[in-house]
Amino acid sequence: MSFLYTTEEQFHRLVDFEEAREHHLRKDRTKKDKRLSLQEAVDRFVEDGDIFAETGFAYVRAPIQAYYETMRQGKKNLIGIGSPMSNCSKFMALGLMKAIHLSYIGVEMRGNDKNFGRVIKNKEAEILSLWSHGSMAQGFKAAQLGMPFVASKQLLGSDLAKKNPFVKIMDNPVGKDDSPVCLIPALFPDVCFIHVQKADKYGNAAIEGPVVNDLALAAASRKLIITAEKIVPEHDIRNDADGSIPFWYVDAVAEVPYGALPGCCPGHYYWSREWWERLVRVATPDKEKLQQFLQYWILDCKDQYDHIDKLGGIRFIDEARRQAEAAQLFIDDSTVNYAYEEVKPTDNIIPEE
Amino acid sequence: MSEVAPANPLEMVAYNLSRQIEDNQVVYIGTGIPMVGALLARKTHAPNITMVFESGGQDPLEGDMPWSVGCPFTFRKSPMTMEMTASFGQCSVGYVDIAFQGGAQIDMYGNVNTSVIGSYEDVQSLLPGSGGGNDLGSLTEKSVLVGLQTPDRFPEKVDFITTPGYLEGGNSRKEAGLLGGPIAVITQVGVYDFEPESKKMRLIAINPGMDTEMANNLCGFELLVADEIKTIDPPPDDVLEILRNDVDPRGVFITMPA
Repeated sequence: MSFLYTTEEQFHRLVDFEEAREHHLRKDRTKKDKRLSLQEAVDRFVEDGDIFAETGFAYVRAPIQAYYETMRQGKKNLIGIGSPMSNCSKFMALGLMKAIHLSYIGVEMRGNDKNFGRVIKNKEAEILSLWSHGSMAQGFKAAQLGMPFVASKQLLGSDLAKKNPFVKIMDNPVGKDDSPVCLIPALFPDVCFIHVQKADKYGNAAIEGPVVNDLALAAASRKLIITAEKIVPEHDIRNDADGSIPFWYVDAVAEVPYGALPGCCPGHYYWSREWWERLVRVATPDKEKLQQFLQYWILDCKDQYDHIDKLGGIRFIDEARRQAEAAQLFIDDSTVNYAYEEVKPTDNIIPEE
Repeated sequence: MSEVAPANPLEMVAYNLSRQIEDNQVVYIGTGIPMVGALLARKTHAPNITMVFESGGQDPLEGDMPWSVGCPFTFRKSPMTMEMTASFGQCSVGYVDIAFQGGAQIDMYGNVNTSVIGSYEDVQSLLPGSGGGNDLGSLTEKSVLVGLQTPDRFPEKVDFITTPGYLEGGNSRKEAGLLGGPIAVITQVGVYDFEPESKKMRLIAINPGMDTEMANNLCGFELLVADEIKTIDPPPDDVLEILRNDVDPRGVFITMPA
């Protein structure tokens, strides 16, 4: 294999079962207070050159404020992966991520992320392998199950399989018939953040709403940092143990209220839908505009509170909270309005006051 | 005379898509027009369908139109959510009846491209990638493909097979080990199926005001045409009103671009 920006070692580390196992074996098992500030956690546990996995669902319970702190600290030469992985585009725009294992980068019907197209076309970043959401998810799941690979019915017959040097199609050697299967190796990212609604100080962490791939990624990833809306007493996690991540996987816990903004966090707040539309419709089509956008929303913010001030402060938060609660029927949804004005491509890059 | 304005092309797509859904089916919902079609089906002829989503939401209570397939409305009071692997696994193991698939290109064998126009070595236009498309199209018993039809979007062969349809036609999909397959293609022109032997796309029904010649002109390959082409009746007024007032009241998906 030859790459523009990636070493052989970085490439093969993704599927290095033995090395990942060794890394997990070396992890400190002590049940101790693992709280750090987000800044400290990023500083200590994200290293240049890491395979960096996105978690949550792009803009749903995703640790976006942790991504932004990682960008502010200028961690570089990262390799992106995730299912989905729409935030990798911002890392690539800032020159911090030069290679990805691609499943999907976009904002669904809100629009294509033109920056992604531009960096790949200009060879400012390279694609190392191609996946579907489900097949990549199976790679993370295989890691969690402790299985070197799984046999999938996905990717068969597609050009994704031809552009994926990690997978192998073969006739089923153990079935009633030999109908082909696609072998998907266990995938081991170096580091991921997982944003949860609540965690205790030891790292036990509970997810409300869809876990997506996060239980698998918690086990697969060599380093794991939990960002939590709130730190709760340990017995709170014990009372409500579904969708939970065990403390002995966790390297650090950071209390980051509003840590999924400008995405949505079930039970807490809805999206800034305009923010995502502004990103894809106004900012990503133009390199300069995108840099301004990232400067304003990420690099010029000290933390999530600066970001919230720019989103509209307490008025924004209160509306977002009501919209999330009504969507989940925790409050009377007939009292909440979801109408909003969609962002047009000709709108300003910075919202008007 | 009716006072309800006739259906626009996007509304016809949503309507025809909804007609592919039968009551009591388990339906895998993607983003955009498929979401509109499924919600319309549930509010009209198929009130007992169960909706499932790739981000994990299963069988949500009815609410506002989801903004994304990960939106809280996709798991509104869901009795359970599933991990992504399990949510797709349902299609493989036989608990999902039908799924929908959009694409920048759809070819004569129903192969779909959501990856790249040109090639990765020589990119003309980069698309977002598979997402759940390959998974649903590889696994689900019945896939319905949805797209606005132009000769460029309906080439003889897609630039890149993100989601396999019938591959090279004939028996090639089954030989590749894939499950289920596309049963229909829905465009602003009408409805297509796949001829059972060759697995080539075949026009079977046309929308009001459309004809076979238009279908051919908007297609980049030689279309098969069924012996008897059905002309689709316009959607009844009450269905159009449900679509406009209840399903997509802000017109996010069914308003024609200016």
